[in-house]
Amino acid sequence: MEFNWPDEDAQFRGELRDFLAATLPEDFDAFDMGARERDNFSRDFAKKLSTRGWLTPAWPKQYGGLEQSAWQQLILSEEMVGHGEPRTGQYMCVNWVGPAIILAGTDEQKDYHLGRISRGDVTWCQGFSEPDAGSDLASLRTSATRDGDDYILRGEKIWTSYAGVADFCFLLARSDPEAHRHRGISIFLVPTDAPGLTIREIPSVFREGTFNSCVFDEVRAPEAWRLGPEHGGWPIIRKLLANERVGVARYHRAETFLLKAVKVAKAAGIMDDPIISEALAKAKAACDAARVLVYQVVDERAKGRQPDLTAYVYRVAAIRCEKLVYEAALRVQGSDSVAPDSVAAGQFQHAVTAGVATGTLEMQLNLIARDIIGVAGA
Amino acid sequence: MDMTFDDTQTAIKDSCDRLFGRMAGPARARALGHVGGADLALAEALEEAGFLDLFAEEDAGPLVAALITEWAAKAAALVPVGARTLVAPTVIAGALPQIIAVCDAAHAGPVRYAAQADVVIQIDGDAAVIAQRGDFTVEPVASIFGYPMARISGLTGVRLGAGSGEAVRRWWQVALAAEIAGTARAALDQTIAYLQQRVQFGRQIASFQAVQHRLVDCHVSVESTAWAAREAAARGAPAALAAGAAITAVECAQRVFDETHQLSGAIGFTTEYDLYLWSMRLQTLRQECGGIRAHASALVASAWT
Repeated sequence: MEFNWPDEDAQFRGELRDFLAATLPEDFDAFDMGARERDNFSRDFAKKLSTRGWLTPAWPKQYGGLEQSAWQQLILSEEMVGHGEPRTGQYMCVNWVGPAIILAGTDEQKDYHLGRISRGDVTWCQGFSEPDAGSDLASLRTSATRDGDDYILRGEKIWTSYAGVADFCFLLARSDPEAHRHRGISIFLVPTDAPGLTIREIPSVFREGTFNSCVFDEVRAPEAWRLGPEHGGWPIIRKLLANERVGVARYHRAETFLLKAVKVAKAAGIMDDPIISEALAKAKAACDAARVLVYQVVDERAKGRQPDLTAYVYRVAAIRCEKLVYEAALRVQGSDSVAPDSVAAGQFQHAVTAGVATGTLEMQLNLIARDIIGVAGA
Repeated sequence: MDMTFDDTQTAIKDSCDRLFGRMAGPARARALGHVGGADLALAEALEEAGFLDLFAEEDAGPLVAALITEWAAKAAALVPVGARTLVAPTVIAGALPQIIAVCDAAHAGPVRYAAQADVVIQIDGDAAVIAQRGDFTVEPVASIFGYPMARISGLTGVRLGAGSGEAVRRWWQVALAAEIAGTARAALDQTIAYLQQRVQFGRQIASFQAVQHRLVDCHVSVESTAWAAREAAARGAPAALAAGAAITAVECAQRVFDETHQLSGAIGFTTEYDLYLWSMRLQTLRQECGGIRAHASALVASAWT
């Protein structure tokens, strides 16, 4: 056990910081932009990253990657989210859509998709949740019915981030209605301009473009769109979602908001107020705790193990720190918090969605319970 | 970066496990609790095995010293391992006595192991004062909170240079976090085992989701504390990390005490059952070194001013 960053990792972080300082405006935050503007920005930015190999640095060299270590992937994630996540939805393509295709794709699928992803040409969305299948993802009902060499897709995906700007949807659909739950699920790589696919924005309390619904009304999907074995999508998903759970270094972004709150508190001369200092210090301690727990996840990945328990524990800690940073910002700014440009308002969306996005907090708690208590719940 | 034990660390862990298995544990803590005092036999054995002097060892260092502090707490040891292995080496050169107490002049109140200590390290502003037995007066306090405690008065001693007080505080915070991690882990393990056995409404209590989620929240707090303490120790107790580990630990102590007792019911308050051997100590540890307010103010001062 040791906590020293090797020189090459420290150097990589330094290079990234120099690049970001030269490329992004000060205090950049991609979340300040609307959905379309943000997507256009991220595609441009992804190309700049791509020319340095930093869009897909963890990928195998044969697919345009640098085969960087799991630790360097973490550094990349920290530096990106710490600088307003200029990649926005691109992190998803890079962290798990691409790796899923590398893992299970045909040569044709690899040829077609991996180059587009690694050049930053495309945005993907994730067709998982349904109106009646959220945390209980394996109960999903969107169907893929065989019709000769094709499938017919029917159903609705919901809450889908980035769908309004995406080129492709990574879709989970039930191809075997007889099979039990997760056994009958296949993955499809669906272009969002496929006839019969209608994408509609769902208005929300957040900025525009956050949530979408994707209705598949008799969408004809050739077999070539299916990723991996028929009915064999679930094991692929299970393996890759561990990447998603730690895909965003939430603690690092939360800490950038915390620093903004500290700036406000200093300007207001309230840093010595024990209520303020306690709120700020608790938030900082929680960010550091989440960071040291993500190290456990990365360590497992670096050693070729599948991080399960450590990834769930990290998620819970990351949710805690997001909320504590919001609380600290609220304490600091008081009634100014409701102003749209307040630090608290900026952290609000991250804090309140942290326990819902990419699997609810309660699902993480259930999964940890299964490991550490081992008694089946009711 | 490597989060698993290397060969040396594994060997030390195995050896420590055997020693604590033989000489510490709940039965020993209960027996000592009846007579008061520190576990001098265990302190002697730990010193003889070299486990109290790893701070400056090249292939062990503060990280392993923090791990031993954590494991000793988990084994309910009644030896001030953290004070000796993590705090004292930063301010006292040469051979150290086995029983050392640490306190802060700014926070009056009973001090752990003060009556047994050969040396007291006191924070006094930005300096540390090192007092030998005889340089202070003690008045034992009968406390229900898990440790032998005494009030200290009339302390004199050698006053070290500016900054020594801060160094003591940083390592004390790391030691506290490690102690809370081990103590809370044992209290939680005990509670999980109990709830797996106890049946109510025809079911194991541990099978209720409402109960599971609370136990899991405790688990996350214990993991957070253990790793925060280890990182702070390994990095040489930088002020913000040390105070942060202590803050995380205080939250953990509070949560684990509340939940383990609530979920254990009345038996948890009896001394026929083991939980109190760890849980009651958590109440002492969460207040030590000034508690959350002092840790927060140390963190703010070091991170942002």
